[in-house]
Amino acid sequence: MSMSSAPRSGSLAPYLFVLPATVLFVAYVVYPILYVICSSAYRWDGINQATFTGLANYIRLFTHDPAFVLAIRNAVLWAPLTILPQMLLGFAIAYMLETGVPRQAIYQAIFYLPAIISPVVVGIVWQRIYNPFGGLLSDIGFASGLRFLTVPFLSDTKVAIYAVIAVNVWQWTGFSMLLYVAGLKGLPTETLEAAKIEGATLRQTIVYVVWPMLRHVHLTLILLGVIGTLQTFPLIYMLTNGGPNHATESLPNYIFLQAFKLQSMGYASAISVVLMVIALALSLFQVRVLGARFALAE
Amino acid sequence: MTLTPSPRTIKTAVLTVLAAVWLVPVLMMLAVALMPPGQRAAGFGGLAIKGVSLSSFVTAFDRAPILMHFVNSLIITITSVVLVVVISSLAAYAFARMRFRGGEGLFYGLLATLMLPIPALIVPIFQLNKTFGLLDTYWGLILPYTALGVPFAVIIYRSFFSAIPQELEEAAKIDGCSTFGIWLRIVMPLSWPATSVVVIFQFMTSFNEFILALVTMDSNSLKPLTLVPLIYAGPFMAQPGPMFATLTLITIPVVAVYLLMQRFMIGGLTAGAVKG
Repeated sequence: MSMSSAPRSGSLAPYLFVLPATVLFVAYVVYPILYVICSSAYRWDGINQATFTGLANYIRLFTHDPAFVLAIRNAVLWAPLTILPQMLLGFAIAYMLETGVPRQAIYQAIFYLPAIISPVVVGIVWQRIYNPFGGLLSDIGFASGLRFLTVPFLSDTKVAIYAVIAVNVWQWTGFSMLLYVAGLKGLPTETLEAAKIEGATLRQTIVYVVWPMLRHVHLTLILLGVIGTLQTFPLIYMLTNGGPNHATESLPNYIFLQAFKLQSMGYASAISVVLMVIALALSLFQVRVLGARFALAE
Repeated sequence: MTLTPSPRTIKTAVLTVLAAVWLVPVLMMLAVALMPPGQRAAGFGGLAIKGVSLSSFVTAFDRAPILMHFVNSLIITITSVVLVVVISSLAAYAFARMRFRGGEGLFYGLLATLMLPIPALIVPIFQLNKTFGLLDTYWGLILPYTALGVPFAVIIYRSFFSAIPQELEEAAKIDGCSTFGIWLRIVMPLSWPATSVVVIFQFMTSFNEFILALVTMDSNSLKPLTLVPLIYAGPFMAQPGPMFATLTLITIPVVAVYLLMQRFMIGGLTAGAVKG
């Protein structure tokens, strides 16, 4: 019955240690999940008596809601178009930094800076950059003759989503860089020296040695990028509020719109359930199939 | 002998150009904030200012009680950071060192929470706060921030605790130290790299959190710093100077905390990242 190395401290101790975490977990995670599932079957404004409507919310969502379709399309665009550039740029910067440049800490701080600035601030600043009337890009466009810079980035339904994605890449590349710097620091120096002695070129060293050895960092960044895709709210809310005409709509923004602007708590709950199911399915896929893990853990 | 520049020079040049581009939005924010009053909109989004003046900051301080909002943010953030550190490290210690019924299930349950998008929970958390009378109170934000920060912190602490050799704890045990005493006096002091990672992450996420704050806080006097641009967007509509001065003032505290903690950050990350 003895438990090998575990301190014997009475059988209650572990339960007391996990009690506060468990209480919070049940109150703010387990209960809310059950709650949204339940309220997604009602038509409900959040104040008056709710009416049970069964699957009506889901039927409307999947068959009669173009804004929902746009929100899904945008998530499908958002994931690869943010994750890949952030990884490649982040890796390139980290590799250049780690293989020796003067004043490494300063560069590192500059690239990481956007990641710590509040997305609300980022949204307002970039609105001014994209502003077609005297904004930074349009002024550069007029001064240099590069007319494509003068388009109204945030109010053109075809361009807006890419403009928002670009801001996300600007904000989060430094975070990728930071994880790659940590990953590169953890690589065994012997392997890199062996590659050098064998006469591997820079390209060969990166493609065949360094990049494959950082697999756990890539997987972490993909995992975090997918989660990020599904929860981005303030950036879109501040830059476009999902507009023009839902062209930059995201699931979080749409939940907020339905729940707190249109007072459709039941409908918002149905969107929330869809969002949770997508998030869990994608995460399970990555963990099971790709073997993704958080590099920070284990 | 050759005239080709060294790889080091090329790298420095590439990085400098990239870093300059990366800095433009931040520089523009500062430029607009420092624009002298009465100056007609400067070109290039405000980057090309003529002269520098602090008057926008004075206006911002005058009209927007930035300090009050900053204190609100600090109360909410620091309380949740302290709670997350204590609650997560206690739980992680049980997960790392004790075996108990339901332990594994609970740990994987917490792990799955990491994948949960917070916006999917705003409707129920809003209703929960309403039921318990926590709408428009600090606790209405502190409790969910803590609950949602615990899973990440538990993972960091658990992997760190597992790497600590157990001899010290066993010796303390023989000397009659309680499990709680071991956690408090031996394990926690040894775990500062893990604590610094947890503190930075929890500080940044709580300080910058937006969607829950937006639906929970109603009174301007309780609102944290992240909501400030929304409160003053109306009054400052025609005055980009004070608006951008406000944005700058919001950004300074996070940058200060980051610069103070930067060296712990990479250290903590590499300490926590054992081969994948």
